[in-house]
Amino acid sequence: MRSEDRAGGPWPTWPPTYGSDEEDRRALFVLSALRGISPRSLISLAVERGSAASTLAWIREGRAGSDNDQAFARALDPDAIAGAAKACGARLITWASVDYPSQLREIHDPPGAIYVIGRTPPDVTSAVATVGARRCTASGREAAHAIGRGLALAGVTVVSGAARGIDAASHEGALSVQGPTLAVLGSGLDVPYPSASRALIRRIGAAGTLVSEYAPATPPSQHHFPARNRIVAGLCRATVVVEGARGSGSLITAEHAMEFGRDVFALAGSVTSALSEVPLQLIREGATLIRDAEDLLSDLGVEVLPTEATERLGLDDAELRVLAGIVEPTLPDRVATSLGVGIHEVVAVLMRLELRGFVRNVGGRYETTLKARPHRDRPVRPPADVDPGSAA
Amino acid sequence: MYGRVNGVTVVGVRGHLVAVEAHVGRGLPSLTLTGLPGAGVQDARDRIRPAVESAGLEWPLRRVVVNLSPGTLRKEGPGLDLPVALGVLAATAQVPAAAIQGWAFAGELSLRGGLVSTPGVLSVAIAAAGAGLRGVVVPASNAAEAALVDDLEVVGAASLGEVVGFLRGTWRPTVPEATARRVDARHAVDLAEVRGQGQARRALEVAAAGGHNVLMVGPPGAGKTMLARRLPTILPSMSRDESLEVTQLHSVAGLLDGGLIPARPFRSPHHTVSPSALLGGGTAFLRPGEVSLAHHGVLFLDEFTEFRRDAIEGLRQPLEDGRVVVTRMVGTVAFPARFTLVAAANPCPCGFAGDALRRCTCREDRLQAYQAKLTGPLLDRVDIRLVIPRLTKRELLGEQPGESSTAVRERVERARARQRRRYARFGLPNNGQLSGPLARREARISADARDLLASAVDLHALTGRGFDRTLKVSRTIADLAGADRVEPDHVVEALAYRSASPVPELERAV
Repeated sequence: MRSEDRAGGPWPTWPPTYGSDEEDRRALFVLSALRGISPRSLISLAVERGSAASTLAWIREGRAGSDNDQAFARALDPDAIAGAAKACGARLITWASVDYPSQLREIHDPPGAIYVIGRTPPDVTSAVATVGARRCTASGREAAHAIGRGLALAGVTVVSGAARGIDAASHEGALSVQGPTLAVLGSGLDVPYPSASRALIRRIGAAGTLVSEYAPATPPSQHHFPARNRIVAGLCRATVVVEGARGSGSLITAEHAMEFGRDVFALAGSVTSALSEVPLQLIREGATLIRDAEDLLSDLGVEVLPTEATERLGLDDAELRVLAGIVEPTLPDRVATSLGVGIHEVVAVLMRLELRGFVRNVGGRYETTLKARPHRDRPVRPPADVDPGSAA
Repeated sequence: MYGRVNGVTVVGVRGHLVAVEAHVGRGLPSLTLTGLPGAGVQDARDRIRPAVESAGLEWPLRRVVVNLSPGTLRKEGPGLDLPVALGVLAATAQVPAAAIQGWAFAGELSLRGGLVSTPGVLSVAIAAAGAGLRGVVVPASNAAEAALVDDLEVVGAASLGEVVGFLRGTWRPTVPEATARRVDARHAVDLAEVRGQGQARRALEVAAAGGHNVLMVGPPGAGKTMLARRLPTILPSMSRDESLEVTQLHSVAGLLDGGLIPARPFRSPHHTVSPSALLGGGTAFLRPGEVSLAHHGVLFLDEFTEFRRDAIEGLRQPLEDGRVVVTRMVGTVAFPARFTLVAAANPCPCGFAGDALRRCTCREDRLQAYQAKLTGPLLDRVDIRLVIPRLTKRELLGEQPGESSTAVRERVERARARQRRRYARFGLPNNGQLSGPLARREARISADARDLLASAVDLHALTGRGFDRTLKVSRTIADLAGADRVEPDHVVEALAYRSASPVPELERAV
């Protein structure tokens, strides 16, 4: 891994005045549009040449970069890129700018400049990344949503990658309470990717922040996403991994976070689930185990809002008994057998519970939702104590 | 030199009496057929002479003209071989003309003079009885089906020689044994054999009670086919008239082996089936398709998403009208086709979305495209949608055998009786046949239950169409419970049978 050849830092980084004057800014518009040259090579060039403008001139002269990049660098018009950025509402924040997020200055290969739409990225203390599988389970999605919501309610910016699944759910959680959220994209800010997240990205741009190190019109590319993940981890004081199968990009984000000396949290899942692979591995490597949003918020020292522990009081006797019978994804048959009632009655009770959000049907089996789980400090009273008159 | 014999041609499922006239006159030896004979009848020309000679009879070496009347009706099928041969024999006085009167004849001849099993004999017998004839003479192997018709004598003969002997009074047919008058359905399978899947078994009971179509979605090996195969066993027993209709359709299709079909049919065409095999058709002889062979029974379409689009589109008419109209160059025919549709599909292209044990490997865009196939206009006619999970060993082992088909069928029949009484004035048999507006007017739903349904719409658990479907299913559940009004409990259970996606977020508006 990269950290080995970098061991012992300090890592070479951009000159302090990089992107400070107008000429440098114009050069950065072009440099951010090059596709073949890595941030690390650009940093070496910048250290050597001293400024963005002279780096660009060096490339244009054919002394660095691939043939494609050289031709591209000569052909690109900085004003056109600046115009495209303006058109999509993005501003360029360069290394030399006071707005440049200071926490990004600490990471490996920080971007020389970022494009930002919406609010300025927050301080490191009030940003937490929530990442995980695109193909997640319903309960993973629910957990990510709860984490996003809880963080946002506490004023913490929820940072993620706007992908489907866990990313989207955590952004949604924050947006559901009009809280702050930030998405880092692996493409130009006017290229909403993935297309399924188009609407989500638009909403984040309007209510929160969109960040990318790529010039407008840059298409997504496979190597952009691992690079994007270093910015996600770099912006945040902590990274939470909710679900991830082997080979998942969330592992990369978590490793970046560890490398940068930030906290890593992992939501524990069943050892038999392929989606638990990354979180469990991270826990073994020292990440903090969390069971839910509550754990995370109290570990972060963020005020925990009271959860809706009284919700269950609205349930009647039959509903509570059925609910008590579901500890894992369970077939209605099993509930019927264990309670000794007809299948059609159980089906009806489960449907009532589902309509009220206490259980969900996953491929023909029922599992409980977060709402149905008792608050840890306040155990729910047994069904016998429930006043039948309060049943809805 | 003239003979006249009654034959029958079958158009669709209906038999039409045909007068077969034969004239033997001067001229070079030849056989001419007139009166709109179809390709199959033209085909008989070269078959009849060898058959007659093989039977030890004489073929006139003169000019023979056979006319099939009425001339406006296209005659099809091999059943006219026997009357054509007898017409010639009557014209040459080899059989007594008087003995032929009052009978209809049908059957295909072999070159050796044998009578071969012929499709559509039940329709022939029904037409003969309808025309007031005394009896029919048919191939011995088809005698059982002809004997199903009341007030008709049936002679089953194995060869042309026997038929001639019968007409000359030298051969006596054995009377076909009286077939059972009672419809006694015996099924090879039983609902009790399904272990686990309690929710699915219950949903099938509701489907049977209300005549609802069903969509089952689940991974391979979940037991979708096993469940579907048992639906006919819990449907109400067929009346004799229904059995006769089914038998007639199978007879016309040439699939009948013996007499009355007592059990509701179960047809499961493969997904590569052509539209004309599914819906009926053919070039010369219009044959009933799978939808008609499933009449009064169950049409099971496994791998529903793999069927040809034009075949699936064609199912809309039978699902709405209970019949299918087949139009070809040779004419237009309507076949009855009132069946319960059971469609089954995997949850995703790889088959394992939502499975407890295996992970789905499909790409998101393919999943979306697949899900779109499960929401077509045809599936609007499907009231009950089920997710069928694949059970783990542990889940299977813990389960007791379920109720037998007989026990479930008794409840189904009671629920059907309630529906028949309620909808007698509309001429509708069950809740499944109700239109949306009629369902809303006739469901007799309590105020609480209606509020509950409305709140499900608000929760986006239901769309407008989903509302009507859930209402109909609720009505059936109330009928199973013997309740006059639809109560909240019935609605809640019905809501559980509305979702066919194991990946809920893919299912936006169904």
